[in-house]
Amino acid sequence: MSSLPPLDLIESADPLATPRRVALVRPDRRPAVRTTDEKYVMTFPNLIVREVILFQLVVVGLALAAIAFDAPLEGIANPLETPNPAKAPWYFLGLQELLHYFPPVVAGVLMPTLVIVALVVIPYARINQTAGPLWAGAGPRRALALAAATGAVVALFGVFQCWPIAVPTAGIALAMFAARRGEQGGAFRRLLAKVTLPEWIMIWFAVVATILTVIGTFFRGPGWSFVWPWSHPLAF
Amino acid sequence: MPDPPEVSLDEKDPVLRDRRDFLTRIGLGACTAAAVGSGLVTLDFLEPKVLFEPPTSFRAGSPSDYPDGTVRFNKEEKAYVIGCPGGVYALSAVCTHLGCITRFLSDQNVIACPCHGSRFDLEGSVVEGPAPRPLPWLEVGIDPSGLLVVDTAITVAHGKVFKA
Amino acid sequence: MPALDTAFRRLRESDVYRSIVRHGAASTNRNRSLLVFENLFLHVHPVKVREKTLRFTHTYWLGGIALACALILTATGVLLMFYYHPSVPQAYRDMKELEFVVDNGLFLRNMHRWAAHLMVFATFLHMMRVFFHRAYRPPRQFNWVIGVVLLIVTLLLSYTGYLLPWDQLAFWGVSVGTNMAKEAPLVGEKSRFLLLGGNIVSENALLRFYVLHCVVLPVALLLMLSVHIGRFHKDGGVQGPPEEPPQREEVR
Repeated sequence: MSSLPPLDLIESADPLATPRRVALVRPDRRPAVRTTDEKYVMTFPNLIVREVILFQLVVVGLALAAIAFDAPLEGIANPLETPNPAKAPWYFLGLQELLHYFPPVVAGVLMPTLVIVALVVIPYARINQTAGPLWAGAGPRRALALAAATGAVVALFGVFQCWPIAVPTAGIALAMFAARRGEQGGAFRRLLAKVTLPEWIMIWFAVVATILTVIGTFFRGPGWSFVWPWSHPLAF
Repeated sequence: MPDPPEVSLDEKDPVLRDRRDFLTRIGLGACTAAAVGSGLVTLDFLEPKVLFEPPTSFRAGSPSDYPDGTVRFNKEEKAYVIGCPGGVYALSAVCTHLGCITRFLSDQNVIACPCHGSRFDLEGSVVEGPAPRPLPWLEVGIDPSGLLVVDTAITVAHGKVFKA
Repeated sequence: MPALDTAFRRLRESDVYRSIVRHGAASTNRNRSLLVFENLFLHVHPVKVREKTLRFTHTYWLGGIALACALILTATGVLLMFYYHPSVPQAYRDMKELEFVVDNGLFLRNMHRWAAHLMVFATFLHMMRVFFHRAYRPPRQFNWVIGVVLLIVTLLLSYTGYLLPWDQLAFWGVSVGTNMAKEAPLVGEKSRFLLLGGNIVSENALLRFYVLHCVVLPVALLLMLSVHIGRFHKDGGVQGPPEEPPQREEVR
């Protein structure tokens, strides 16, 4: 929004008072009180038609998938026979993979709770409003702090032999340092240089979650042992 | 009618600042009590009081069926009934990690879970794997006709053997 | 065809039609405004939108994809409900019936399953897009929180639906999940007992998950989605890549 003069509010505490004038709308203006200088178009047809087309595309795409791939249905539930492996739905397989390294209280309760709390707090953490590119105006102290922090995380997960987290953390740390002299370099390097610290953290979270889920889905077989994806059937 | 003169809170008792205030507080308090009460009553409603689940106790034969070293796996009840020098005891066959059903490997004398590789010894202690607790010991008793009765819903202290 | 045109025009000018549709043909801006403004379902939209928001690269339409999936899931779900009994072992037999006996049963079940996966995936991607566009900055902070709640509701919908086929995949997937819930300190055992309606995954669990999946969670989703959409419409529409730094609105 471009800078507009602040609204002057005159508030009355009298619930029986009749306001004389709430807002004056000039005949050549929109009723919206606060507007921008951007170009507006009519919702119908511009937005409505796009929504309809999007809906149709999703329906068609899903219909093709429904024709091509069948949803799985195994034998009837048998409380006495545990299948091997017993896998959760794919969006929880990352969590189930974490269970391999940490006790259930940590992997099943503590970590998901921390993730949710961290997500909820995002818009209220000041750093998310004010953060600039990671290395903008940063001295050697920031490099040291970052190396120490990422080293600690890698060490922590290394101690628990949780390689699916330790290794990507190291990789992302490398990428962060590669972005340090980002101004000189290709287009990708310059893009990396613009990434802020909260964005790096989110990238780390997304990469780790994806890797854990991929391992849990494709690389785990009976007894939660490590298998190659082509050696066992997949279920969704 | 003109409003009553404003009296500062420091002078008057805050609860009885004026009648309207007092009645408002009582009203809101009553609404809160009603809401909290409704919530608790609803939660209580949702908790089942009678379960139609299969009975948890089962007969396991007579004590003489369990000489030292016998391990019998009851699949339906998910329990091992084991004979030892002091008598008979029972272990739950449900892995303490995530609830899969273990199996007894007689050649290795170990109880193993197929899901994540947990292993337990014949006293239920964790030998290997991610299981956080040992297998619970179940209550073993004897019924009037002299047959062993095991209750999978009642756990007893580790090491409490039923002396037959 | 002129005859058809005349017929349509006579229809649109008839008293019955005018009593239902209060605006004229959408060929003037006034009528286009009225079309959106007076329609119960459409009037969640503003009458005019910023042209920038229409571009694909503005939001990649991810929220829209998630919403489309939700609508498809509701439609296919209701249809599937006509053949499904949430009891043991009838539920499994009903799955077989849907697959082999009911016309288009297999197709509808597949649609339902793949739409569910797409919805979870699209919701995650949407969250990432909003984050990297920093579209959670004031005044949109609480809408992000509502979005996180919507993510949790979506995951719960997927999880409760997962049990309903009552096959080995469903039963043990849910067993593992509820055993994880049991590990929570203080409330773990009690919440597992309430969720399952007992100590084991049984008929009670199936019925509770069915009620959650078909009534409680869809209503929660609908309510929270309405708040979510209403909030960003009041905040000026969908926000794509941030052009300039945010400015707090001053109200003296």
